[in-house]
Amino acid sequence: MTRITQYASRTTQWLAGGVTLALVFVALLAPLPALNAAPQERQLTINASRFAFEPGTVRVNRGDTVVINLESSDVVHGLYIDGYEIRTQAEPGQPGRLSFVADRDGAFHFRCAIPCGNLHPFMIGKLVVGPNLTWLRAVAASLLVAAGALVAFWRA
Amino acid sequence: MRWAISDTPWVNRLLRGRWLQWGITVLTLAVFVVVILTGLLGTPAGNHNFGIIYVWLVWWALLKLVLVPLLGRFWCSVCPIPAPGDWLQRRSILIARPGGKLYTCATRLFRKAARGRPRPWPRFLRNIWAQNFGFLAVALFSALILTSPLVTALTLILFIVVSLAVSLLFERKSFCRYLCPIGGFVGVYGQVAPLAVRVKDPAVCATHTQKSCYVGSDAGYGCPYFNLPARLETNTLCSMCGECLRTCNRDNVAFYIQMPGTDLLNTRGRRLDEAFNGLMMLAAAFVYSVVLIGPDGWLKATARAVGAPSWFAYAAVLLLFSAVLTPGLFWLCVRFGQLLGGDGEPAPGKTAGRGSKHATLFAGYAIALVPLGLAIWIAFTLSFTLTNVSYAWPALSDPFGWGWDLFGTANMAWTPYLTGMISYLQIPVLLVGLATAVALTLRTARQHGQRPAAALPVSAFCTLAVVALLTLYMA
Amino acid sequence: MQRRDRFALLVILAILLVLPSFLLGYQVWRQQPTAAGIRIVNIAARVPEQGGFSPDRLTLRAGETVRLRISSPDVVHGLTIPGLGVNVDEIYPGTVVEVDVTPDKPGRYAFACTRWCGVDHWRMRGVIEVTGLTPRPPSLPGKGVGERSPLAGEGAGGMLTSAGGDVPLYQQLGIDIDAMRHAAQVTPATRPSIGVGAELNAALPPELADPARRRTRTPAGAFQTLRADLANAALSDDDVWSLVAWAWLKDVKPAALARGQTLYARDCAACHGPDGKGKGPAGVNLPGMAKMEPVMPKGPSDFTDAGAMLAASDALLQGKLLRGGMGTGMPEFGALYSDEEQWAMIAYLRTFLFGK
Repeated sequence: MTRITQYASRTTQWLAGGVTLALVFVALLAPLPALNAAPQERQLTINASRFAFEPGTVRVNRGDTVVINLESSDVVHGLYIDGYEIRTQAEPGQPGRLSFVADRDGAFHFRCAIPCGNLHPFMIGKLVVGPNLTWLRAVAASLLVAAGALVAFWRA
Repeated sequence: MRWAISDTPWVNRLLRGRWLQWGITVLTLAVFVVVILTGLLGTPAGNHNFGIIYVWLVWWALLKLVLVPLLGRFWCSVCPIPAPGDWLQRRSILIARPGGKLYTCATRLFRKAARGRPRPWPRFLRNIWAQNFGFLAVALFSALILTSPLVTALTLILFIVVSLAVSLLFERKSFCRYLCPIGGFVGVYGQVAPLAVRVKDPAVCATHTQKSCYVGSDAGYGCPYFNLPARLETNTLCSMCGECLRTCNRDNVAFYIQMPGTDLLNTRGRRLDEAFNGLMMLAAAFVYSVVLIGPDGWLKATARAVGAPSWFAYAAVLLLFSAVLTPGLFWLCVRFGQLLGGDGEPAPGKTAGRGSKHATLFAGYAIALVPLGLAIWIAFTLSFTLTNVSYAWPALSDPFGWGWDLFGTANMAWTPYLTGMISYLQIPVLLVGLATAVALTLRTARQHGQRPAAALPVSAFCTLAVVALLTLYMA
Repeated sequence: MQRRDRFALLVILAILLVLPSFLLGYQVWRQQPTAAGIRIVNIAARVPEQGGFSPDRLTLRAGETVRLRISSPDVVHGLTIPGLGVNVDEIYPGTVVEVDVTPDKPGRYAFACTRWCGVDHWRMRGVIEVTGLTPRPPSLPGKGVGERSPLAGEGAGGMLTSAGGDVPLYQQLGIDIDAMRHAAQVTPATRPSIGVGAELNAALPPELADPARRRTRTPAGAFQTLRADLANAALSDDDVWSLVAWAWLKDVKPAALARGQTLYARDCAACHGPDGKGKGPAGVNLPGMAKMEPVMPKGPSDFTDAGAMLAASDALLQGKLLRGGMGTGMPEFGALYSDEEQWAMIAYLRTFLFGK
């Protein structure tokens, strides 16, 4: 039965671990000043067909009023936005409309909400509300975690 | 730092008894039967088909989020696929045959050649390479399997037919140990689990010539996975079935709760086939994330159009990426590490043949991919589980999509759960996986006599993988 | 074998044999006629490329109640049987919609899909043939066995009847709906307003005041008539156009306009666009478009094109609606729309040019 071997002294390890954890918390949770561009109104048209949305990725800024016109090229499709939890549907000739304020930043997948065939569960797009702090924080935290683990477990 | 839960009397009774395992297996068998029926006969609309929902949503989520991280390879002991074969081999269900004797057709059909012994599994297949390539093969067809109830049913029928045939010709659970693609990665990832079956005192085993844990006894059967419990250091090949607990007449086997990841602490003497499994699973997670969760509809359609020329191109790219590029890149990282931190020594006890040094070093570093890969697979699973698990309720009342309403839930609408939380669940999992992976790379360097700097390229590889996945999902 | 194993084996056999039998048997039982004698008829609705409705021909007996079980394995479909008053707005994939139907009159009734399900959605139709009641002995006069009336809207050659049963107006008038029309020479400069026309409330000549006669006139022709009338000499051209607009739409009830709008959204907007400009997603690459050039404009009609629309009488529009486009991709709706619905649709089409 192998035992956990000490590399550097215990104190150093705990210190490194603690500091890393604290930094990770800061990276993930510390409020940052809003460096947004001025909020604007954005009109978008998203076209749904089997089995993709066009455009597949939509980028807006935090605070923007977003109006999405959902159009369908072939059958009845829906649109549901993760996180914002709003939905609409459309079919050829009967477009749908979503209007909301992008008050949460990050990346939110949007999905087809009406079964439209076999690949329906994977009919997915992405709404990115920038600046994308969620991604930035996650990447910063990852780098911190890697660095912290290296420091904590490095043999001097 | 481990606690033997099987020392607690009621737990011991539960584990030694055969009712628990049989009870759960019977449930999974019932679900399996319904899955096959609904897959073959039910609606092709996956969202209302019991087969699709309960295999690729419910069972998969259970496996990746609960069973593997907590109970290791436990699913394999209640899986319905080998169950009929096992019962036929043992000619019993809840009792143990005298001496733990197994019956295979081999002992009848190939009497002369077999001389009363069951057919041995071919030597060149005594590894998990077949499972590795089996998983890649399934991955190639995934876009079709996951979205077609009929193909799901046919795939499962294929599994059970092969498993049954193998059980009739070869002894024990040869299918599970050497062929089942699920078993391959469940075993490798199961090394993070806090549950483990180990011997209490190896010295007792050293003097025990009977080895009833391996050959069986009146109390039970020999280990179905051909393990010698004394030599078990990891959960990779142990399904927690408890046969060794039943048969050991020195009471030297126990079920332990250990620190998660204890199995990963020894990075020496690791196998290349398991290393490759970790690499290939990592690559597969990325392929799935790009193809299935990404926005490109042409790619998805191509992935599903099995047999079309474009699909062959897609298959070639997938295989190249999973079987060549990712392992190749990892190998480069290991070699670069050797430049930075020294060549490293071969693991003690291994003959220093040509290339074996590199192979064990490579396999040692690949241990870091176990927590990393599992974290990435958990993140991938989370991206669709919470969103779609509400399909499970109507599928229960109307398994075939024929307009039934057995339990009154047939008209429940699709309701994505907690979609705003998905990122916040994925991030901590990935961070923990990354931290563990980097720590393990340093351990590998140390245990192979390298300077710590040798671990930097592989750590960078792991960090890059996590950042790439975060970018795919959240950027 | 010990009792334990026997019990375990029994459970396993129950799962392997009894469970499937129960599940399949339950479905067989569900498909039997109900206690009240209602027969079950299963219809699968697939995208047209995979066969559309299956079966697409049903035979029912007048007075017999059947339970239609409609399912979809792929996308959202709808079902309407106008002649029998059946309207299922949504058949959700993987579910089964049940509708009880009791046809009372023998005849042939068309049914169609009402949710856009692909390029050939408009072809997704079927026929329900309702045969008469119990056959009479041949000696008795009167309506006999299986009386058939011509299929509403049935193809070229046969006598076309609308779902209402009369000979359509354009046929009575001998209008060739395929002939190239000259565009209206005079078109309004601003959007004619029905409200303005109502305020003006000028006296209309009999051929414009009576709806049946007005339908045979074109709005452009009506403009010329009203312009030439000395009583309207003081009015501007735009005012006269507003009079035309008012004449065309004053007798249309709001409910009819709403029905026209609903039908337009459901059946027409996919090709003609929600804005009427003919640029709907389903209207690209229609069959026969190339062969119509340069005679006809390429693609679905633009209902906001004043030159074309004002030179078309209601009777002409009705003809196109009933009979369809002979290979251009314009479906025929004679089988699906009642007389009221046809005029309601045409009234709605006029509102693309005539505003409030």
